[in-house]
Amino acid sequence: MGSVYSLTLRQLSGRWRLLIMTVLAAMPVLIAVLTLASVRTPSVVEFEITVLGAMLSGSIAPLVVLAIAAPAFANELEDRTLANLTLSPLSRRQIAVPKLLAAVTVAAPFIAASAFLTSHVAFLGDATATAAVTVSAVVGVALYASAFVWLGLVSTQAIGIGLLYIVLWEGFFAGFVSGARVLSIRYYAIALMHGLDERRFASTSHMSLGVAIVVAVVVFGGFLFLTIRRLRRMDVP
Amino acid sequence: MTGMATPVIRVDGVSRWFGSVVAVSEISFDVGPGITGLLGPNGAGKTTLLRMMTGLAGTSSGTITVFGQPVRDNPPLYRRLGVMSEHETVYGFMKGREFVRMMARLRGVTDLEGAVDRAIELVDLADAQHRPMETYSRGMRQRMRLAATLVHDPEILILDEPLNGADPRQRVHFQHLLRQLGAEGRTILLSSHILEEVEALADTVLLIVNGKLAASGGFRAIRAALNQRPYHVRVLCDAPRRLAAAVVELASVDAVHVDPDGAIVVLSRNVLDLQLELPRLAQSASISLRRVEPLDDSLESVFGYLVER
Amino acid sequence: MSAEAAGHPAPPPGRAGTVFDIGYRNYTGVREGRGRSRLAVFKDGLRIAMGLGRGGRAKFLPWLFIGVLASIGLIMALIAGAVERLGGPGQAQRMNLPSHGDLYGIASIILFVFAALVAPELLCRDRREGTINLYLVRPLTGGDYVASRWAAFLVVMLFAAWLPQVILLLGLALGDPLPATYLRTHWLDVPKFLLAGVAIAAYATTLAMFTASFTTRRAYASVFLVGLFVITAPFTIGLASEMEGPAGRWISMFNLTNIPVHVNDVIFGEVSELTEEAPAGKLPQAVLVAWYFAWTLAPGVLLWWRYRRLTP
Repeated sequence: MGSVYSLTLRQLSGRWRLLIMTVLAAMPVLIAVLTLASVRTPSVVEFEITVLGAMLSGSIAPLVVLAIAAPAFANELEDRTLANLTLSPLSRRQIAVPKLLAAVTVAAPFIAASAFLTSHVAFLGDATATAAVTVSAVVGVALYASAFVWLGLVSTQAIGIGLLYIVLWEGFFAGFVSGARVLSIRYYAIALMHGLDERRFASTSHMSLGVAIVVAVVVFGGFLFLTIRRLRRMDVP
Repeated sequence: MTGMATPVIRVDGVSRWFGSVVAVSEISFDVGPGITGLLGPNGAGKTTLLRMMTGLAGTSSGTITVFGQPVRDNPPLYRRLGVMSEHETVYGFMKGREFVRMMARLRGVTDLEGAVDRAIELVDLADAQHRPMETYSRGMRQRMRLAATLVHDPEILILDEPLNGADPRQRVHFQHLLRQLGAEGRTILLSSHILEEVEALADTVLLIVNGKLAASGGFRAIRAALNQRPYHVRVLCDAPRRLAAAVVELASVDAVHVDPDGAIVVLSRNVLDLQLELPRLAQSASISLRRVEPLDDSLESVFGYLVER
Repeated sequence: MSAEAAGHPAPPPGRAGTVFDIGYRNYTGVREGRGRSRLAVFKDGLRIAMGLGRGGRAKFLPWLFIGVLASIGLIMALIAGAVERLGGPGQAQRMNLPSHGDLYGIASIILFVFAALVAPELLCRDRREGTINLYLVRPLTGGDYVASRWAAFLVVMLFAAWLPQVILLLGLALGDPLPATYLRTHWLDVPKFLLAGVAIAAYATTLAMFTASFTTRRAYASVFLVGLFVITAPFTIGLASEMEGPAGRWISMFNLTNIPVHVNDVIFGEVSELTEEAPAGKLPQAVLVAWYFAWTLAPGVLLWWRYRRLTP
């Protein structure tokens, strides 16, 4: 599994890609710094909605993970190199798990660092709030990665479908139709953040911490299971 | 070929269709140790068949077993199986040696560096092994892929168009290597368009036409089995028309025609009798035979006939 | 001319060669030039963008987006029609419901995502698979190739942009008790939305293709482009709200989603819903238009320059 993991790390870590992710991850941090430096300090709710919600978890995190995770299998299928892995004694689980872990390994540090620095600055070093934001961001990355790795395996239009999900479903529908949040990874992560620091992020409009954890485990495990199942049944090009 | 006592690979009633297109239709055969050539025109279903035999694709019906085990979804089997597909499936950013080492590691090879050295030596790419494969020529990529296929010393080799991009020297080297591996008792299944090479290498031939198995076995035996097609034998002599007039009387001869260059071509379904009768006839007619050669005693002619009929 | 007369030694006796005429004929028809080649690349670009002549999967995404855009126009028309029916003629205008001037603002992100997904299909695949060399060995330069592809995608974007406007116009006209009168009184909306459509289509086409020219992987081009549009919006809004005055206005100008919508506002003479709160809207119209041209022409020129240098 180590070979597949290190191979995937190399495949997903292009120089320009890492540079772009660094720039994207730095944006919310810059906003947080400027917000603190300004005269009009926004409330927690305002900060959560615009910076954490709209920017970090609404656009930067899912797009970064989509760009990293979907190509984990999609590029192998396009280049017809997946057979190098499937024609080996590795079980399909031993191929899918390191692919997913590698995608999370590449994407998570950027999002985690962005979430940590943003919340640390915005909440004036409040450790609980910072931990809540960071942990929920990392969990969000893992959930998106599991979904997009699977999507890259099952569809040649993975990026298009992923973008539709992020922009239309999570960015549009789930914002207006609260029921749609039941099927939104973004809102699972936000619910987790609320649950981890109820003191600062108290709200009744999100699912409870316990439910959020269970849902996260089910989503992550579910997409991983689907990926392994697909690898077993598909014709490898 | 079929009904082998303990086949290494058994293909039993295998079909594969894609929507309404039947790519492979009810094919059955066994493959044992030695070199088996898989032939067929473009679109015959060779690659589809090979992909099913290597587990990359499933069958629509029928079964394929390797060492008695199903090949599909059976990863441990790949420790004993080496597969080289027709696509140039390499990681361009990797150096050649890295690629072969990774393939060796994936297959659980214990003496990693030793196995990699041997495999790269076999394909004569020691000088280029530390370069990224995106800088390789096509032939070099093929050879490094072959090294990756051989690195874990597999008992079975399935090779789809392995000589694509190889220059003449490399072809000779590769043929020698394959003969050596076949002589060691490995089972090698080789798909190729290059009939002369398959003819030179393969002990047995599987000929696929339109998704069906058209013939299997040694190509001479296949030729002999084609009863309905007469053999063409070209005869050069000093009196072609006189010989032609005499030969046409023989019971073993179906037809005779005279070429513009003076050679006669005899069509016969019974070359054994012709072989005996022709020299006697020439002697009795005082005609000197200069050359007698069969024109369709080649894999190419068998292939051509079976594909066209 | 015999072999000897040509200075080559005569072939040995019995080795003379003859070519028999078995019916092969050279092509003696008209050989069309560069214009025809450009047209062929243009038509091929249209087919690639819309998935024409390909399977269902190639058509799914582009036509899904076209459908969504058409739905926006239809929904707006239906809402206006319902309001008119319930509240009486003119009620929609009194309530200041979104109309032609607002449609591009509402649909902008969908248009940009559409461009981000489809534009890389026209450029990336040819470079990745090496088929661009097949174009370049024809009477076609790299500049011809990219200009033809750009023109093809512009046509597609214009169709995507104008379709919901036409549906809205028809819906509003048919919802009026006197459709002919409605069209006579609102005929100016037509050239306005056509021109605004050209602005947004040209902008999206050029930026999308410029981005796609930097990578051979369609996925990376698409995600980067969407990221550029989707992320600059909250980023610049957040920053601009902290920095009031000219600094805030200029930062707001870097909201890439709003750039063509400001031009739309200039054309319609009124601020749309999307740009209502944008500080950049307070800048002079000439600045907004010049900014638009900078963000459309500069990438366009760079795109052409990158491809112009290509050789087979």
